Amino acid sequence: MDNLLSIITFLPTVAALVMAVFLRGNDEAAKKNAKYVALFATSVTFLLSLFVIAQFDPQDTGFQFVENRSWIMGLNYRMGVDGISVLFVMLTTFLMPLVILASWNVDKRVKDYMIAFLLLETLMIGVFSALDLILFYLFFEAGLIPMFLIIGIWGGANRVYASFKFFLYTFLGSVLMLVAIIAMYIDAGTTDIAALMNHEFASGPLEVLGISIGGGLQGLLFLAFFASFAVKIPMWPVHTWLPDAHVQAPTGGSVVLAAILLKMGGYGFLRFSLPMFPVGSEVFGPMVLWLSAIAIVYTSLVALVQQDMKKLIAYSSVAHMGFVTMGIFSANQQGVDGAIFQMISHGFISGALFLAVGVIYERMHTREIEAYGGLVNRMPAYALVFMFFTMANVGLPGTSGFVGEFLTLVGIFQVNTWVAMIATSGVIFSAAYALYLYRRVVFGDLIKESLKTISDMTMRERWIMAPLVAATLILGIYPSLVLDIISPSVEALVSNYAAAQPLDVVAQASSH
Amino acid sequence: MDTDLIAASVRASSPEIIVIIGACAALMLSLWPHQDQQKYLTWLSLITILLASAQTLQLSPRPVNIVETTYSGMFVVDAFATYFKMLLYLGTALTILMSGKFLQTEEAVKGEYYVLLLFALAGTMIMVSGADLLIIYIGLELQALSIYVLTGFLKTRGRSVEAALKYVILGAFSSGILLYGLSLIYGLTGSTQLGVLNSALATADLSEPMLILATVFLLVGLLFKIGAVPFHMWVPDIYEGAPTPITAYLSVASKTAAFAVLLRVFMGSLIGLEPLWSSGLAAIAVATMALGSLVALVQDNIKRLLAYSSISHVGFLLLGIIAGTTSGMSAILLYLLIYTFMTLGLFAIVILLHRDVRAGEPLTLFSGLAQSHAGLAFMAMIFLFSLAGIPPTGGFFAKFYVLVALIDAGHVTLAVIAVLLSAVAAWFYLRLIMLIYIQPAEPTTGSTAAPATGPTGHARAAILLSAPMRLVLLFSFSGTVLSGIFPAWFLAMARQASLSGLGN
Amino acid sequence: MPVDFLPVFLMVAVVSGLALFIFTLSALIRTDNPYPEKNRPYECGVDHVGEASAGLFKVQYFVIAILFVVFDVETMFLFPWAVVLKDMGLFGYIEMFVFIVLLLVGFIYAWVKGALEWEF
Repeated sequence: MDNLLSIITFLPTVAALVMAVFLRGNDEAAKKNAKYVALFATSVTFLLSLFVIAQFDPQDTGFQFVENRSWIMGLNYRMGVDGISVLFVMLTTFLMPLVILASWNVDKRVKDYMIAFLLLETLMIGVFSALDLILFYLFFEAGLIPMFLIIGIWGGANRVYASFKFFLYTFLGSVLMLVAIIAMYIDAGTTDIAALMNHEFASGPLEVLGISIGGGLQGLLFLAFFASFAVKIPMWPVHTWLPDAHVQAPTGGSVVLAAILLKMGGYGFLRFSLPMFPVGSEVFGPMVLWLSAIAIVYTSLVALVQQDMKKLIAYSSVAHMGFVTMGIFSANQQGVDGAIFQMISHGFISGALFLAVGVIYERMHTREIEAYGGLVNRMPAYALVFMFFTMANVGLPGTSGFVGEFLTLVGIFQVNTWVAMIATSGVIFSAAYALYLYRRVVFGDLIKESLKTISDMTMRERWIMAPLVAATLILGIYPSLVLDIISPSVEALVSNYAAAQPLDVVAQASSH
Repeated sequence: MDTDLIAASVRASSPEIIVIIGACAALMLSLWPHQDQQKYLTWLSLITILLASAQTLQLSPRPVNIVETTYSGMFVVDAFATYFKMLLYLGTALTILMSGKFLQTEEAVKGEYYVLLLFALAGTMIMVSGADLLIIYIGLELQALSIYVLTGFLKTRGRSVEAALKYVILGAFSSGILLYGLSLIYGLTGSTQLGVLNSALATADLSEPMLILATVFLLVGLLFKIGAVPFHMWVPDIYEGAPTPITAYLSVASKTAAFAVLLRVFMGSLIGLEPLWSSGLAAIAVATMALGSLVALVQDNIKRLLAYSSISHVGFLLLGIIAGTTSGMSAILLYLLIYTFMTLGLFAIVILLHRDVRAGEPLTLFSGLAQSHAGLAFMAMIFLFSLAGIPPTGGFFAKFYVLVALIDAGHVTLAVIAVLLSAVAAWFYLRLIMLIYIQPAEPTTGSTAAPATGPTGHARAAILLSAPMRLVLLFSFSGTVLSGIFPAWFLAMARQASLSGLGN
Repeated sequence: MPVDFLPVFLMVAVVSGLALFIFTLSALIRTDNPYPEKNRPYECGVDHVGEASAGLFKVQYFVIAILFVVFDVETMFLFPWAVVLKDMGLFGYIEMFVFIVLLLVGFIYAWVKGALEWEF
């Protein structure tokens, strides 16, 4: 099947269309049908994506499953995956059925909800497998629409504000990327990502409005892409949309946001910034590293004082994404490997944490930490799962969280010891806020009247959590499962990156 | 004059002749009182437009780069004019289709409405085909005079009459400026024919004050017509006051024709004077986008909001002229096509939601639409996202190609400003989407056909989708979506058309 | 060249001179007998009431004036057309026919709409 990727990408859309056209009425039966259609479609998508991973050849560092069709004059419909992107596609298809399951209790406009999530899945897979700049931008930008609606329609009390903030932050970032994309198209004459990776953009000195830009054109392009991806991932100080969006989004939305949408930023750095603007990345890399270090420490501290569970986890996401950007811009094998691993593992862990919050939110309809306490007495299974993911979030050895953090720290130590030191202290902070949250919610005596009747996780909820626990554990014990797939591609990326540096920059880099 | 030449001229202008004959027939028909008069008039107008478009297509030059000049060089038939005429037919036909319901609710059904629209169409057609400044001016006036009357068509409504009066005064003022510039050009070059001007100005001394004055006046006159800052102040008032279908017509067809003139005159004949106008135009484009986007943020009337939105779109369109290349031109042509689809679609929805002119068109008209009419809400959302320029809708590609042309021409700073301002503009489109999807619906009397509780009641009666309205929505929606998914076909048309426009 | 315009200047001089001469002459030899009726501004024989600037005009004046202008212009075109009709042949004949028909349509419209009715 040479158009397998397209099938995977657009299968959810087809399901959404079927739902939109054929599913009528607003009664219980219709709601149930919508849920089952969505679950079925996402599951089939996942099963199909297993074919991709099964046939994927990790040793081939080029793009595989490539499709190429003429689409618009000069622009092509190009799809394909390599070692960097294939796991993100898998992460998306794996999580979506769980998200649908987690949304089983949604009662408001179920059909629209499911359609939004199915479209979102198409767009997310599209982002990770597009091999044409314009196509990538289309998927990247269109993904805002369903997420905007998901937060705006099914969100909490302050959803309007949150969805606006989400949309405008990310939109403002990505319009600059659009300008850069067009400039690249004009400079290179193509929008083929594979060809652009081999195209050398000018890096000679350049002055814009009297300010000289390091890295020249590459520097400018890097900054434009950075504006988009830094908001998306998100990096300090443009992360402020994320806590709001997370708090207001419905559980399913939070999971998708934390587990997949944020990864688009990291993926963008790996797909565009490093390979296409190596000189620009080298010039601005230190800035990114310091921003990451600040993000790790600052957001961890902010997380410590949060009253809202979702907000706390959101800030912890920002901190973890700090490790990711740090790993990416250390630009060596361990750092980039670790960054990708961290993104995959964070996809499971943060997704699971938001699901865990969702479990008790569905019962108590509050996310205030103060409202809970002593849950272990009535919800032992829940306490176990929550403990597991809290530990994974902290980065306990044996869970996938450890591998990612460890590798990124190894990577960064080789590049910038100061940043590495600061980041390592972030690990301690993360243990502090995660355990503090756990203690306040789960431990202690069950004194609150309202919690006396709370029930443990249902069968459905356990089944949602089980695959996530398994994935986190397996990747923690046997990380080669992921690393074997990504390493050859990362190796190629890193060596190309080093080779693209002009001699004086390399000399500087090796001198300290 | 040779009879053959005259016959050729008549043949070349046959679409215009058809439209004028149709208008005369409609005028006679309007005198004949009949209960189905409106239906007949609608049909007559549509058939006229259909015939004219068939004739236009039949006359369309093959191969595309042929330019047929008739009436001693005053009138051209080329791919550029053909493209714009088809665009005008589309805009006018959709306006006519959406007018029926509006006129009924306003109890302003009059035959003259359709007659004037047809005359306006004829005027715009002459504008896009004119190869002589005087012919262009005559077309412009024919169009403007018809629109003045149409703006004040709801004679018993103060706002409508006020808008008409303002439009007449400001329109006459701008026409005067345009005419003045035109006469200066004639004085300097001894001709008003675009082809002659081109060669006459090629050797002109650009520092001559009269020439600068003439260029400025011509530009100002045309900028007035498209509503660019600082000549935009008539736009919101007139958009708000005019009957909604006429507002739609104004923002689409009128603007399209004015852009055709702007392109033909400034990118064709006055291209030699580019140093005189390009930097000024760049400043105007940025100011237009900025003002349109920023002021729209605080509007609470849907028509005023759309007026400012159209101002900001004009700013974006002007960027294509600044690019100054063929690709910039085809980007404008594509933009105008997609803009026609999405704007008319949104106006159709505004008309459907319209209750009564006295109630106005507050933004809250849209609130809770998703709950009562999911399909309409979805369409409105697509139109709004398209206007905001978010993929995968047509509006994205409209802006995309303008940006490509702009950056290709080296105006990267302008492109950055443009995208940032379009992000600002996205805000108020999102506000409307919010209202549609998120705001709870105003209390309704339920889906039963209970009569409205009173003149102030917020009850939204079930919206009846008449067949013409369905047609309008179908056209504009599929146009908006298809141009987003398959822009190639639309772009190919625009490219072909723009190749001939510069060639005179 | 200013000298080319000499006949024009002469013409202007003669016309103003003649007008001056006639007015002066008539002022000198006429009998002077003013009375109120005679001093009133002429308004098509209709009684005028109050200030012209404050009062309301009958809109019919306006409509008829426009119709008059339209047909005035038509006549203006008809004269030169008639002179060269023989050279233009049948085509010229048809062309003027089209022109008149267009005017006629407008005229019929105005007529049926009651523009020519005079309501007191």
